[in-house]
Amino acid sequence: MFDNVIIGQYVPKESVIHKMDPRSKLIIVLLFIVFLFLTRHPFILGMAVILTFTAFSMSKIPFGYFIKGMRFIAIIIFFTFILHLFMTREGTVLVEWPLLTIYSGGVIEGSLIALRLFLLILMASLLTLTTTPIDLTDGIETLMKPLKKVNVPTHELALMMSIALRFIPTLLGETAKIVKAQMARGANFSEGSLWKRLKALIPVLIPLFVQSFKRAEDLAVAMEARGYNGGEGRTKFRQLKWKPLDTGALSLFIAFAVLTVIFRFFE
Amino acid sequence: MSDKKQFQIVDLTKGAVFIALMAIGANLAAFIPLGPVPLTFQTVVAILAGILLGKKLGAFSMIGYLLVGFIGVPVLAGFSGGFHVIASPTLGFLISFVVLAFAAGAIIEKSPRPTLLTFFMASYAGLIINYLIGVPYLYFHSNFILGLDGVQLLPIAAGMTPFFIKDLVLATFTAILAPQLLKAVNRQPHQMKAAS
Repeated sequence: MFDNVIIGQYVPKESVIHKMDPRSKLIIVLLFIVFLFLTRHPFILGMAVILTFTAFSMSKIPFGYFIKGMRFIAIIIFFTFILHLFMTREGTVLVEWPLLTIYSGGVIEGSLIALRLFLLILMASLLTLTTTPIDLTDGIETLMKPLKKVNVPTHELALMMSIALRFIPTLLGETAKIVKAQMARGANFSEGSLWKRLKALIPVLIPLFVQSFKRAEDLAVAMEARGYNGGEGRTKFRQLKWKPLDTGALSLFIAFAVLTVIFRFFE
Repeated sequence: MSDKKQFQIVDLTKGAVFIALMAIGANLAAFIPLGPVPLTFQTVVAILAGILLGKKLGAFSMIGYLLVGFIGVPVLAGFSGGFHVIASPTLGFLISFVVLAFAAGAIIEKSPRPTLLTFFMASYAGLIINYLIGVPYLYFHSNFILGLDGVQLLPIAAGMTPFFIKDLVLATFTAILAPQLLKAVNRQPHQMKAAS
């Protein structure tokens, strides 16, 4: 049940996108998302479509994986499109029925918003589909390093996240065990008022929290015993490598960002 | 070694554990046959993070939780996760966990001897912050990201009322649960061995 926790959404494949540095992927996705929302120019949007689909086909990830996690947002995109269709009253009349008039403005506006959201989600999920959570954690840590100057504990944040990755499956399993143990003792979670059911949860939550804190303390003692003392001067087992490929991909998206600004202000 | 270290090692491991507890809280219904009401305990655990870990570590742990969700680990409600969550209309509720953990922690830390009333204040403050950030974000999302200018803030807020009532019950539950948990986790190790 909890096997997929550590790898998250990651789909292992041998592809160029998988081989990219998590840092460059993070920067690219953030750039893309910010600048996508600055534009409504058809040329830029066309470019965004090409960039997104090229990246997606290069990643060799079957489209099904992308659809899986996206059902909820697909519904939002669909309804947004429909609402725009009915609400926008600009342009020429395309359809005129007794209860419903569709204007060309509505179709354009609806498709524009839907396309933007679709591209955003495709790009964002590409990041987590092609990069393991561990790599992304490392990437976030290095990208946030400048914040250390203003006393943001970036190394500690990354360490905490990595430990959490390790704890999540354990604690999920432990919760299932505690629930079963309490049910064997006669705990009843599914009858009575909401309040009664919540109260039945207390004998699950208290041992769960106590166990969790005990695990946390044990791990801290173990780390201290092995001489862990923070990020200063620490070396890494997994090294991030910035390749020419990353520079190339990043410059492509910087060009996209620059073009977006040019089209926005000089037209 | 720097002398202004903000967190001890045990703080970091406890923060990590709370990220896992948030994942469990978000999906408790998957473990327990709670009946037809879809409940998530994210707000409960986020308030507890503030109360049990303190304002600074509580908020820090919640930042970690969001990031772990963003990098694709299925820790959010419905065992979901992934960077596409930043396009979700409920992102405001997620972000509010950081603020509400800080606020709940601050209220508990302010009082030298927290009474049940203090815990109620911390829980309700947490709940209010949850909605004070989450609901306006829904409005912002529909107006500026979906481009639906016609959507007003008040109808959205009214639509959230049933959820608010459900969460009000959960916040009350949290206030009653918190002192018991605080006592249980702060018990001395040798006493704990006898208990377990």
